[in-house]
Amino acid sequence: MNDAATTDRWIRCLNTLQLVLAGIVIMTPTVWMVLSSFKPSFEVTAYPPTLIFTPTLANYAELTRTTPFLSYALNSLVVTVGSTALGLLFGIPAAFAVSWTRISWPAILTLAARMAPGTLFLLPWYVMFRQVGMIGSYTALILSHAVITLPIVIWVLLPSFDGIPRSVFEAAQVDGCSVTRILWRIALPLVASGVAVSAILAFVFSWNYFLFALVLSNGDSKTLIAAAFNFIGEGSTQWGALMAAATLIALPPLVLAALVQRWLVSGLTLGAVKG
Amino acid sequence: MSDTAATLTQDRQKLEMAALSAPAVAFTVAMIAFPVVYTIWLGFQTFSSTGKQSFAGLTNYSKLISDVEFWHGLWVTIALFVLSLVLQLVFGVWLALVLFHAKRLPGIVRSLFISPFMMPPVVAGMMWLVILDPSLGAANYILQAFGLPPSDWLASPTWVIPTVALIDSWQWTPYVALIVLGGLQSLPPSVYEAAQIDGASPFKTFQRITLPLLLPTIVTAAILRSVDLLRFFDIIYITTQGGPGNASNTLNIYGFRVGFEFFDIGYASALMLTLTAIVFGAVMAFNRLRGAVAW
Repeated sequence: MNDAATTDRWIRCLNTLQLVLAGIVIMTPTVWMVLSSFKPSFEVTAYPPTLIFTPTLANYAELTRTTPFLSYALNSLVVTVGSTALGLLFGIPAAFAVSWTRISWPAILTLAARMAPGTLFLLPWYVMFRQVGMIGSYTALILSHAVITLPIVIWVLLPSFDGIPRSVFEAAQVDGCSVTRILWRIALPLVASGVAVSAILAFVFSWNYFLFALVLSNGDSKTLIAAAFNFIGEGSTQWGALMAAATLIALPPLVLAALVQRWLVSGLTLGAVKG
Repeated sequence: MSDTAATLTQDRQKLEMAALSAPAVAFTVAMIAFPVVYTIWLGFQTFSSTGKQSFAGLTNYSKLISDVEFWHGLWVTIALFVLSLVLQLVFGVWLALVLFHAKRLPGIVRSLFISPFMMPPVVAGMMWLVILDPSLGAANYILQAFGLPPSDWLASPTWVIPTVALIDSWQWTPYVALIVLGGLQSLPPSVYEAAQIDGASPFKTFQRITLPLLLPTIVTAAILRSVDLLRFFDIIYITTQGGPGNASNTLNIYGFRVGFEFFDIGYASALMLTLTAIVFGAVMAFNRLRGAVAW
């Protein structure tokens, strides 16, 4: 009896130990990045590395002074908000129709973008956008990023729409409501939280996406992620400013993801896993 | 009479439904389906150095078969895929079990575990570039503190693939863990209780009961990771651009460089179509596997 209790305690202790170990491995690199961003420039590259230092904002100041960080950030914001809005505009009605009719091919079609390598689309896009002189335009960037946001919106919203009892719609239909009216007036308010989650996830993935902006943006429309090379620099060791840039770029997605963490897994697996 | 009215309403409804999905479908056709068809056509073209375009039949594909760099890229892609997938599945299942047994999981712990895979892969690359710097990085300092030899990490042709696999696994193991955790939580508790009554050891319970029941979830996680791993791009492009030399030149990196650095759009199209076929093939194979382990 007593033995079993002791074993139980040991097992729990061992488990907590493993949890702490995993936490350390997961957190240390990120903590190191943030710490380095606040180090005085001579201490960032100190060897052996230092843990105790006088924190400074000099790296952040240098970042905004030596690079057009703020205008890159503005580009990122325009592209991300634009593509999220477009994803919602097309995705909400599509998810509703798929959920209602159980005809799922429109939803599956959008998944193609989740599976094929981005370069597959980027090659023809590049040729086509160049022909119409749209390389570097916000329009080209927003359209390309909407390819990322659309499947997220559709697949996150599908289970939400599926969760509404049919009788709600049927009652509205008997009252002579058109399908479009049912969507905007009845269904949409019921799935408001799902819409919020899908918008946040779409925002995060659009913000994080690298490949398309690498080719489709130019000096004026470069997003933060595509400008990462500018921060790395040519063989320089301006690590303080580099880590300041990394910290600032990672901040919006991390804060937003923390808000929706409960729905994250079901959202990210796009229908493959019920979370 | 009322029948006709009903059919009329139904037809109307079908039309309205089609109108609702039309924008999404039209957008996807314009941005994905049409460009893919265009890529297939581009795969049969050659582009001269002056940008002049001409029909080339299967030239790009025969070039691909005799291209050493393609086979090297295929090898790098597969090595990186296998290594990363094994690491992420093994540690992901381990982490899921640890999380499952920590009954009260504070929200802050959960945010901590999602933080790696919610940060841009590009940022992960920037961060690890600094930590793994061969001469001034913290990683080598820690190794040496434990009396281990330092490594050149991303700068070493031998170690670059394992290093990139480690970075990607740092980022995505928690994601696999959360998927597997969902699977664990949906298993009926009665099976464990039965095993406990039978006096099975925790390890035997895991091997004989938990693991087989979890396999469908694990295969699902494997599919989701495979899709990303076979088209590996961001972390490599930001840290090594395929180097040192061509040691981390995955097919996706190679195709991108052929297209946008050498501007051989035709050959790049052939490369990307081949890679796409590989990704879809892998997904189909895993899907069959999932069918085989379903219960």
